[in-house]
Amino acid sequence: MKDNTKQTGSVEQPGQTASDTSEAGSGTKVREREVTMPHRDPNNPYAFPALMPSSADKAIRSFSPDAFSIPTKAQDDWRFTPIDRIDEFFHVFEPSGKTKVEVSGIDGSNLDPDLVEVSEVPKTQAPSGTILKPNDRVSAVEWASQATAHVVHVKGENPTPVLVKITGGGLDMDALHLVIVADDRTHADIVIEHEGQARIAEGVEITTGKDSHVSTTFVQEWTPDSKHVGNHRIHVGEGASLRHSMVTLGGSFVRIRMDQEFGGNKGDLNMLGIYFVDPGEHVEHRTMVVHNYPECKSRVVYKGALDGKGAHSTWVGNALILPSAPVTDSYELNRNLVLTPGAIADSEPNLEIENGNIIGAGHASSVGRFDDEELFYLESRGVSEREARKLVVRGFFGELVEEIGITAIRDHLMGVIDRRLSRGEDEQMRHVLEEN
Amino acid sequence: MATLEIKDLYASVETKEGKKQILKGVNLTVHSGETHAIMGPNGSGKSTLAYTLAGHPKYEVDSGQALLDGQDILKMTPDERAKAGLFLAMQYPVEVPGVSMTNFLRTAKTEIEGKAPAIRQWTKDLNASMKRLRMDSKFAQRSVNEGFSGGEKKRAEVLQLELLKPKFAIMDETDSGLDVDALRIVSEGVNRAKENTDLGILMVTHYTRILRYIKPDIVHVFSDGHFVKTGGPELADELEETGYDRYLPQGADSESALA
Repeated sequence: MKDNTKQTGSVEQPGQTASDTSEAGSGTKVREREVTMPHRDPNNPYAFPALMPSSADKAIRSFSPDAFSIPTKAQDDWRFTPIDRIDEFFHVFEPSGKTKVEVSGIDGSNLDPDLVEVSEVPKTQAPSGTILKPNDRVSAVEWASQATAHVVHVKGENPTPVLVKITGGGLDMDALHLVIVADDRTHADIVIEHEGQARIAEGVEITTGKDSHVSTTFVQEWTPDSKHVGNHRIHVGEGASLRHSMVTLGGSFVRIRMDQEFGGNKGDLNMLGIYFVDPGEHVEHRTMVVHNYPECKSRVVYKGALDGKGAHSTWVGNALILPSAPVTDSYELNRNLVLTPGAIADSEPNLEIENGNIIGAGHASSVGRFDDEELFYLESRGVSEREARKLVVRGFFGELVEEIGITAIRDHLMGVIDRRLSRGEDEQMRHVLEEN
Repeated sequence: MATLEIKDLYASVETKEGKKQILKGVNLTVHSGETHAIMGPNGSGKSTLAYTLAGHPKYEVDSGQALLDGQDILKMTPDERAKAGLFLAMQYPVEVPGVSMTNFLRTAKTEIEGKAPAIRQWTKDLNASMKRLRMDSKFAQRSVNEGFSGGEKKRAEVLQLELLKPKFAIMDETDSGLDVDALRIVSEGVNRAKENTDLGILMVTHYTRILRYIKPDIVHVFSDGHFVKTGGPELADELEETGYDRYLPQGADSESALA
């Protein structure tokens, strides 16, 4: 424990410096581009929100668990979370080390070491620990509990998607730290698959270089008794595009929080999420997108289906547009399809816009059941109600699955979704029919 | 030769003010190969008749029957009615995001035929029908009705009519929102379906415009929830001249007269 605190201190310094530099850099860019910033009006502080004090990103960031109090329902970040189900992750623990990490091509092939370097390093060795800082107690506990980090370093043109297969090591608590680094101008697709039985705290750092085009797709297909608390810290390089997809299809408790920043102008972040929640499961995704440079674009689109009593999903989408980020284009959307009565979907978009000179900062959020008109249209063409429901749910997810853009993943996901749908229809669908 | 026989049909809709009866004793017999035009003012219940026959859950049948070759379709689910041979071309076709036209059409065809169509023949038929309706082949890959223009939606309805080959089709204001060219293309499609499969047609419309392209054998005036007059094609011309006023119940306002 004492040792962990010391290590913490050593990585906090570079993190701080990086953030200071980015602030200074953006200031210069703004002046160069002659973007007019608003001036204060003493009579009307609301006239120029950019000059209002920022409230969104004052939350603590630290590698030290003790910097954060024990989560309670009274804290905004935890109010949707059934915290009593994960209180084992609130204190530093001895990880079991049983989680297995294997890296290969998505077709099982060996990787070209010129394109993908895989290593396991002490966690304090850069780039590990350099991308932002933990933002809540469980993330800091993850950092403090494990000693090493798995690093996947991609460069150049990667023709084959990289598969990082993470297999849970059972219900003994484990911690895992994964760092994904993409060099400047890299093209790569990385798929991170989680499966098996697990009780895991996972930290992920992603940093992409200038003008790189990278996708990272995280799939959670844990056993129904598994727990997973996760934290992603993401840095999108100047002129780079990152498609960050999150697919959560199984697990008793999954809570993943994602923090992001841009590293320069014209970054493009596309966050996609798909989740399917079964009775009694809690699935929570929290995204924090920070526009800190000019002319960056972000899209956050999360869609979930909830099936059965006590199925609970939470999506909280935070977006912060700083004064240093003129010509920002951002949009976030969350849709929930409640398949059967008794499920709860919490959906909360939060926007803080501190800059009047933007292209857009939209958001949309909905929780709904099947659209009767859609079902009737399909049925009136001879499609049975059961098949019509399947078609609608497939369609609901299909658009996003298409966008993930990796054939192997697309086919796999649609297969999983189909299996879930045919499993649901026998028991769950009947309840709907009876109750309506 | 098939027969659709509507007998003394009463149906209601649930409104904020409570249950409201819309159909008040509808009687009509349609045979294969016949085209019936159902004309009437706004709010007379024409669309309610169309949706009640197709089985929309919003409408509740109070009494009466609709026999398709002796089988009461009102006792069936909407998909069973479609399988029995009924087709409703909707005035406002519904968008179904994420479901491609091609997937949807093939699923519907499979359900109606009871088996999947042979892929080669199906693709050929689909492409030929789309070409005749001047639909771009990219259409098949788009989501059902999503982002389609008004005219594209109506073409897509007629495409389904041609491919699913029902015994009877209810065309609910298929002419609304179409320009002259689209109206001609859509009408040709309906006429083709009639020629190829001896389709019986119930054409619900306000205007006589579409009747120049799809010639009705029988014209009915629908008002206040039932048929009030039946005649030959000349009745349509008469309505064009004089309007619906004389067929309205005493003291009622005609929306079309006001418009």
